Amino acid sequence: MVEFDRTAFIKKFQEEASEYLQRLNEGVITLESDPDNRELIDQMLRDAHTLKGSSRMVGLIEISDVSHKLEDIMVKVRDGEMRYSPGMSDAFFEALDTIVFLSENAGKDVSEQIDIPAVLDRLSAVAASGEPSKPPSTPEVAAPVSAPEQGMEASASEPSTSSVEPLQKSQVRQAPSAARRGAPHQAAAEEKLQTRVQQTVRIRTEQVDRLLNLVSEVVISQIKTEQHARDLRAVQALSNEVHQAWSRVRARLADVEDGADSSLDEDIEILEGLMSDEWRQLAALAKEYADDTSRTSTVVSDLQEHSMGLRMLPVSTVFNSFPRAVRDLAHQFKKDVNLVIEGGDTELDKKVLEEINDPLIHIMRNAVDHGIEPVDDRIAAGKPPKGTIRLAARQEGDQIVIEVSDDGAGIDPDKVRAAALRKGFITATEAKSMSDREAMYLIFEPGFSTSAIITEISGRGVGMDVVREFVVDKLKGSLDVFSELGQGTMFRLTIPLTLAIIRALLVRVGEQVFALPTASIEETLRVDPQEIIKVEGREVIRRQRRTIPIVHLSEVLGVTGSAARTNKTPVVTLGFSGHRMGFIVDSFVGEQQIVIKTLGTHLQRVDNVAGVTVLGAGEVVPILNVPDLMNNARQLSGLRRREPTAAEQVEKGPRRILICEDSFTTRELERSIFEAAGYEVETAVDGAAGLAKLREGLKVDAVVTDVQMPNMTGFQLTKAIKADAILQGIPVVIVTSLEREEEKAEGIEAGADAYITKSVFNQDTLLDTVDRLIR
Amino acid sequence: MSENDTSPTAALAGRAAEILRQRAESLAQVDLEQSAVETIGLLLFRLAEEWYAVRIDGVREIYNDFEVTRIPRLPSHVLGVINVRGEIISVINVAALMRVASDQDHSGVREPNGIIVSSEPFVSTLVVDEIGDIIDVPRDSLEPPLSTLDKNQADFVSASVYTQERLVGIINLEKVLEPVGEPV
Repeated sequence: MVEFDRTAFIKKFQEEASEYLQRLNEGVITLESDPDNRELIDQMLRDAHTLKGSSRMVGLIEISDVSHKLEDIMVKVRDGEMRYSPGMSDAFFEALDTIVFLSENAGKDVSEQIDIPAVLDRLSAVAASGEPSKPPSTPEVAAPVSAPEQGMEASASEPSTSSVEPLQKSQVRQAPSAARRGAPHQAAAEEKLQTRVQQTVRIRTEQVDRLLNLVSEVVISQIKTEQHARDLRAVQALSNEVHQAWSRVRARLADVEDGADSSLDEDIEILEGLMSDEWRQLAALAKEYADDTSRTSTVVSDLQEHSMGLRMLPVSTVFNSFPRAVRDLAHQFKKDVNLVIEGGDTELDKKVLEEINDPLIHIMRNAVDHGIEPVDDRIAAGKPPKGTIRLAARQEGDQIVIEVSDDGAGIDPDKVRAAALRKGFITATEAKSMSDREAMYLIFEPGFSTSAIITEISGRGVGMDVVREFVVDKLKGSLDVFSELGQGTMFRLTIPLTLAIIRALLVRVGEQVFALPTASIEETLRVDPQEIIKVEGREVIRRQRRTIPIVHLSEVLGVTGSAARTNKTPVVTLGFSGHRMGFIVDSFVGEQQIVIKTLGTHLQRVDNVAGVTVLGAGEVVPILNVPDLMNNARQLSGLRRREPTAAEQVEKGPRRILICEDSFTTRELERSIFEAAGYEVETAVDGAAGLAKLREGLKVDAVVTDVQMPNMTGFQLTKAIKADAILQGIPVVIVTSLEREEEKAEGIEAGADAYITKSVFNQDTLLDTVDRLIR
Repeated sequence: MSENDTSPTAALAGRAAEILRQRAESLAQVDLEQSAVETIGLLLFRLAEEWYAVRIDGVREIYNDFEVTRIPRLPSHVLGVINVRGEIISVINVAALMRVASDQDHSGVREPNGIIVSSEPFVSTLVVDEIGDIIDVPRDSLEPPLSTLDKNQADFVSASVYTQERLVGIINLEKVLEPVGEPV
């Protein structure tokens, strides 16, 4: 297991703690005047509790101890065992200051500067008596405490002293022994406080977003300004030519007219003077304007870069919680796994970071579950007993590449083919003609799993397809898989640095320009009309031994495309979740970086459109949503994999399942769930009865069984079914309250197809699982 | 309270109830007087022959002469989006939404008159035929919308007011700005 990077956690803790401490400080002051504020008491109790917990997590035991005492007091106040009185504030402020001091000096030995045991003693005294013992430097405060009426009186009669004094005292006692040790320490402490204030400012993300919005507007007008500077130079060149032409005319005039008319000569001279002035001034203006523009350009691009940087955080802020997660997963799946993290300081947009956690966890869960082999298998294969998962992040241009690789068994393309064939994702011919690499991508098919058993983790319908869709849809990135049998598997996530900017291909359809995220584009082609083949009424093209259906983007979008057909039809092929499709456009406009903007608050979700961008000229361009496009295109051309229609289901007869369950309530509950979903339900009160029914020739599509039943357990029943030549094809779903890993392992051993614990049991999980197994 | 009941407590209670009733009445009176002088601000706009208004506190700005970017497959009353100083805002053809006549067919991309309105948190632009004055009307001059209104319009008009010798329908912004599509 990797060592925890405690320092990163401590930083997180410090940030978090400052919020709680602020609130607790405010709370103490409010409580002085309003000692019965229940809500506040509860909140302060929670805050103290959270501080205790999180400080303990990062190993700051002293903070945890102090918070614990605060919590004790707040519990007593909440339970009415004591009443908060202003006299207690001293001890509270002292404790809070101590926590601030400890938090700022996290990891350092501060026993010289601060006397923790004394602080704790004083808090204990408060907790014990409701009255604080007097710290040495505290002047006497008349703080009657226990009798409620007196307390009320106190808070009413001396609000000024009670709210001012604690503040003074907290200053005096910045570090309790500082006073004794002399001024320099205190000065140092104050200096420290100042630098801390300067280092971080907390800003709401909307504020940053609004700023970025304005910055991108500045960028756009700057681009326009640069264009104007170029225009101005063109005008200057024009004026240059005019002046030269004029000079020639003037020379000719001097020859021809030879002093004939002096007034004309005068006018010619005036004109000459004006033109020279105009030419000179224009030249000066153009130069000045160009200089200004280029200066502003530098500033604007710096401004853009820095303001984008505001949202950037190192990936370690997310990665740092992974060692723990992987350790838990390894434990859960009974594997021995080491997590190696590389490139934790790579920076990423905060929004992307927030979204990236779940897909990565899911990929790592897959790696632990399916990738890394059990220790014995690894030793047998000559590998180190401990598996390794490598999580590496790096920046490549304007993209971040995150790779999750394991040194496990790798993905067996043949197994994938077989599973895909069994589940009807592909036909036998397709399986044969498919390359190993193509076969590997079948794992991104919705509902695909090679796993022998569905546990609730991999069985809740969250497969790699969902992960990939998320990466493409939400993060505008791509997810690829590379694997070598016996050597391991690598998932590569390529995502844009920021959700605000992506690379996109601009295409024209009719009169409008649309943007397609480059990450989803496989290739751009120019296709000869004769290359487009009609198959069963659909248009397809052949590309590297693959058949790619093509559709008109204009039809999918419902806009008018250009009617003119060129010899070479521009086609963009998009790839998403294992599907490839070509979209005919009118023309390619070009590829560039674009700033993503939402459609605003009023348009919350629009089919096919993920957002818009504003081009340099101020033109607003819709950004297309690739998963939507693929779905709609498939629907449009009837390519969508058909869900069995109601009529077909009737034709096949209703699906029938057998429920083996000794508890009447559970049995009837399950029966009603399945019947409501259109199943025909048979029941048996235990395993033996169930098996008897099956052997008598009862035909069912699946068996749902409990584990602990009289006569024959669910495990025994499963074994019996799987050992029976006739029955072994029937999927068995074990539904049980047993949640221990050994039990799950036993279920797998018995040959169950799915294992659902009742603690996660809900209707949808059960129906989804059975539905999937029957398909 | 019965007249025959002469016990001192009952009499006292009766008196107290009377005092309370009087006080309540006088308070209600004050309320009426206050609301009589209370006014609300309206921005008038025209659609074909008819005049409508939006409450001024829902108006963010008047936006003239802009180009709308079409977005495919939007509901028919949403024309597209515009870029207002970096913020993308949708454009609503309010005449189409209420199914009333308009001078323009809004088939082109240029629009002369827009009112950017908001009903937190939603913001959009209404395209109209003409933007009129900002007026103040007494709150109690507001009437319920015409009962003869078409159902489509009745939904979007929250009240009407007779001012400057015409009847003006006040637009229900909350209804007009109902978001399009499921939240992501």
